[in-house]
Amino acid sequence: MEKKMNIRTMPQEDHLLNGHGACAGCGVAVAVKNVMRILGENTTVYVPASCLLVSGGGMYPHSAFDVPFFYSAFENTGAVISGIKAGYRRQGKDVTVVGIAGDGGTFDIGLQALAGAAERNEDVIYICVDNEAYMNTGTQRSGSTPFGAWTTTTPVGKRVQGKRQFKKDLMSVVSSQDIAYAATLSIAHMNDFVQKVEKAKSKKGFRFLHIMTPCTSGWKSDPSMTYDLARMAVETGMWSLYEIEDGETRVTYRPNEMVPITEYLKLQGRFKHMSKEDIETLQGWICQKWNKRYCPAVPPLEKKEEELALNGDHCEGV
Amino acid sequence: MRSVKALTGNQAAAYGVKLCRVEVIPNYPITPQTIIIEQIADFINDGELDADFIPADSEHSAMSMAIGAAATGVRTFTATASHGLALMHEMLYVPPQVRLPIMLVNVNRSLGAGSGIWVEYNDSMAERDSGWMQVYVEDNQEVLDMVLQGYRIAEDGRVVLPFMLCLDGFVLSHTVERVELPQQEEVDRFLPKFVPLNRLDPKVPMSMNIAVSPAHSMEMRYQLDRQMDSARSVIKEVDVEFAKAFGRSYGGLIDTYQMEGAEVALITLGTATSTARVAVDELRAEGKKVGLIKLRFMRPFPHEELRKATKHLKALGVFDRSISANRFGPVFTETRNSMYGSDIPITDHIAGIGGRDLTVPVFKEMFDVLEKSASGKKVRECTWHGLRGEM
Amino acid sequence: MYEIRFHGRGGQGAVMAAQTIAEAAILEGKQAQAFPFFGAERRGAPVMAFARIDDKKICDKTQVYEPDMLVVMDESLLDIEPVAAGLKKGGCAVVNSKTAPSDLDLGIKVRCISVDATSIAIELLRAPIVNTSILGAMVRANDFVSLESVQRAIMNRFGEKLGEKAGRVNSDAAKAAYDRAREGTCRGERKIVKKNAWLPTWQETPPGVAIGKTEKAGMAVGPGSMSQNLTGTWGGANPVYDEQKCIKCQRCWFICPEGCVHRKDDDHVEFDLRYCKGCGLCAKVCAKEAITMRKKGASE
Repeated sequence: MEKKMNIRTMPQEDHLLNGHGACAGCGVAVAVKNVMRILGENTTVYVPASCLLVSGGGMYPHSAFDVPFFYSAFENTGAVISGIKAGYRRQGKDVTVVGIAGDGGTFDIGLQALAGAAERNEDVIYICVDNEAYMNTGTQRSGSTPFGAWTTTTPVGKRVQGKRQFKKDLMSVVSSQDIAYAATLSIAHMNDFVQKVEKAKSKKGFRFLHIMTPCTSGWKSDPSMTYDLARMAVETGMWSLYEIEDGETRVTYRPNEMVPITEYLKLQGRFKHMSKEDIETLQGWICQKWNKRYCPAVPPLEKKEEELALNGDHCEGV
Repeated sequence: MRSVKALTGNQAAAYGVKLCRVEVIPNYPITPQTIIIEQIADFINDGELDADFIPADSEHSAMSMAIGAAATGVRTFTATASHGLALMHEMLYVPPQVRLPIMLVNVNRSLGAGSGIWVEYNDSMAERDSGWMQVYVEDNQEVLDMVLQGYRIAEDGRVVLPFMLCLDGFVLSHTVERVELPQQEEVDRFLPKFVPLNRLDPKVPMSMNIAVSPAHSMEMRYQLDRQMDSARSVIKEVDVEFAKAFGRSYGGLIDTYQMEGAEVALITLGTATSTARVAVDELRAEGKKVGLIKLRFMRPFPHEELRKATKHLKALGVFDRSISANRFGPVFTETRNSMYGSDIPITDHIAGIGGRDLTVPVFKEMFDVLEKSASGKKVRECTWHGLRGEM
Repeated sequence: MYEIRFHGRGGQGAVMAAQTIAEAAILEGKQAQAFPFFGAERRGAPVMAFARIDDKKICDKTQVYEPDMLVVMDESLLDIEPVAAGLKKGGCAVVNSKTAPSDLDLGIKVRCISVDATSIAIELLRAPIVNTSILGAMVRANDFVSLESVQRAIMNRFGEKLGEKAGRVNSDAAKAAYDRAREGTCRGERKIVKKNAWLPTWQETPPGVAIGKTEKAGMAVGPGSMSQNLTGTWGGANPVYDEQKCIKCQRCWFICPEGCVHRKDDDHVEFDLRYCKGCGLCAKVCAKEAITMRKKGASE
């Protein structure tokens, strides 16, 4: 059987170079840096308005991406990458075209262009780096913001404390089209991450990668907690890892048992005001999602990441 | 051999696109433009045109796709009207500064409430600050010819700006006229292969349209201003070249009719020019010294040409088919601005709003006002012709 | 008119400090304005903020180019930015530093107040947010507003937003800084060199807001050229690596947002500290404790 790519065998050359302006401990930077390593130099990147546009796209005349980079607006990622791909196709150039948008640019303002590109099954990769609010403008609520979270537009005040609605199930929206590939990723599940990006790269047609990227400034968490937050999100059921291929959903990692959501919430300032009732409401929502995702029980497919790291399993025979 | 066909304005635009061998055509339907993209879909499906036809989810996406494709260095086209153009508004500001010579046909239609699907210029006039060249045409032959000329002008190394061809909804878009189609080889000789200024290409990476700080924006904007200015001479030059190749000339930025010995003249644009010619002929037959100036380009604006053409006049009128609430029509504002310092009385003549039919008597009424103005009588600065109720 | 320029790092609260000093002046019946440099900076990147105070209405809306007072909220900025550029000869500087004023070199010899605002902030606020303590040192440097007004302004701005207790501890931080600030004269030895910039004329500006990999005004521009931005000065800590403990799992290499972790031929790693922002993720993911984070300036 062909050996899957892992973090030791993946390409090492950077295309989001150092010197970029992301905050210390930025989850988006971790995600995009590794995505770019795998996609390689024969790639063209489109980034709409977002933190990544400023911190990675750069400020004229400097950019941190060393591959062709383009920007034009906020809501049109799905459309512009379709156009870029068509232009390359006309010239007989086989180039990986990727659009990397935030959750605001994907869940909200960019949903229409994304849905259009998915429906046409454009031969592009669309990546949503999801930090659960409009972070580039200073943490405003998006369709991705979870229930209870503080943002500047869902403030903790006298009437309500934080967001009153639940996070939009974007993957259901996107995968409702017959697209080539869709997957959820976490920067804490590194080999899973690498394999999904590699799979997306190797396929033709519309590919959608949804990456959870903790945000130190918007989540009010310590920069060093970015990894723990990404990992804990999966363990608590706030985030789950799966892929959809040919209409079949496959869970790629299943936690052994559900960790109470409080273990995740307490690591972040954005949830610290939450009442007992609100936490129960959120926990109930998670339980529903958990049951839907993991039951009937699917056996764990791979050993847990940290186990692998501890016993050095995945270092052998590489 | 050149062929002659009976084509609508929309079909003429589509034939122009085919002859120009456009490569990527994002599209979205809207009345009264839709026939253009339907005709192009047929061309592609029947193997008459080899292009990527991308059905967009909106006009905003259509323009976004055109921008993406043009950024890789291929010839692109899209078409829209009215609300579609308004939805594109945000994206219209990208191609001029990024220097992507995209062609857009806007089939003029009134925009917003208090209107329907008929011709008015408030859609495209609102976009004249965006950095697109804008031409308004009079008949279906000019539609086809300006697609050809438009690409040649837009892609000229001295210009490299996007081109908006504005044609009147229904009055041209759905009206059949005689159109002479040039041969493909003739067009290939006239319109060289597109060579972009910059392009996305992993072999030679470029950072395109990243954020720009105040330290660089101003120089970029002035560059655009100068670029639009240099389009003025290229437009004239291409018209001469076009005449040599195809035997038709449009005069460049403006055209004139019966201006010799004219004492009063009216500036018109779009199909109004056609009907106004009839009015001029009838008034001339009565011995009245009236003339016509056909404003072709709204951007770049022919300020010098207008001053020159109007030097000998006793009164000048400007026809407007849209209005900036409380401050006249845009063509009048721009004309009076260009005529600053001249002592010729200039008046604005609003008509045909919301697609109301423009008849010969309407234009005669305008010339009546001009003759009064020329004889020193006091007239209204701005007259709405065909309006019910006292102004 | 009294003009102040703040130099800090994104997240330190330079803008809040400028706003608070303006509010203190307004509370005293004066006119004042405060505003940030409207950039797009992230946490840790050098930022600026400005304040003006006067008895009559202030109309000047430009940035402050020749400040009467310079406030340096992060000492490391002295080495990477021409912070003292334009500082008036008779002006003064307030620097967040453990060092005595006479040992600080700003490149211009002026009256200087130094205060270890970071320690005060950590002690009283339990976070290295120095914007309120620095305000106390500013009043010590020049009594253009009173300490009482500054404390009232802090209560207004911080108390309302974060609760009365937060307002009070921030107010205490200002008082502590006022008391502990050291006065003196700084040195003027370092050369204040203006940052290299490429400022082409409109004719020289490449058309199309597009730029390829090339050099302009002696610096790299275009794709990948942000690597000249040495972000290693942003953070307060660096990783220390013990090769013996390393099992070469490469998790640190994967998780580093900056690409500071380089893989050697033998799959051990090395760290390019020129870019390290000190987030500590490499140490977090290391299962063998081969990486530990050490505060900058701490002994080995």
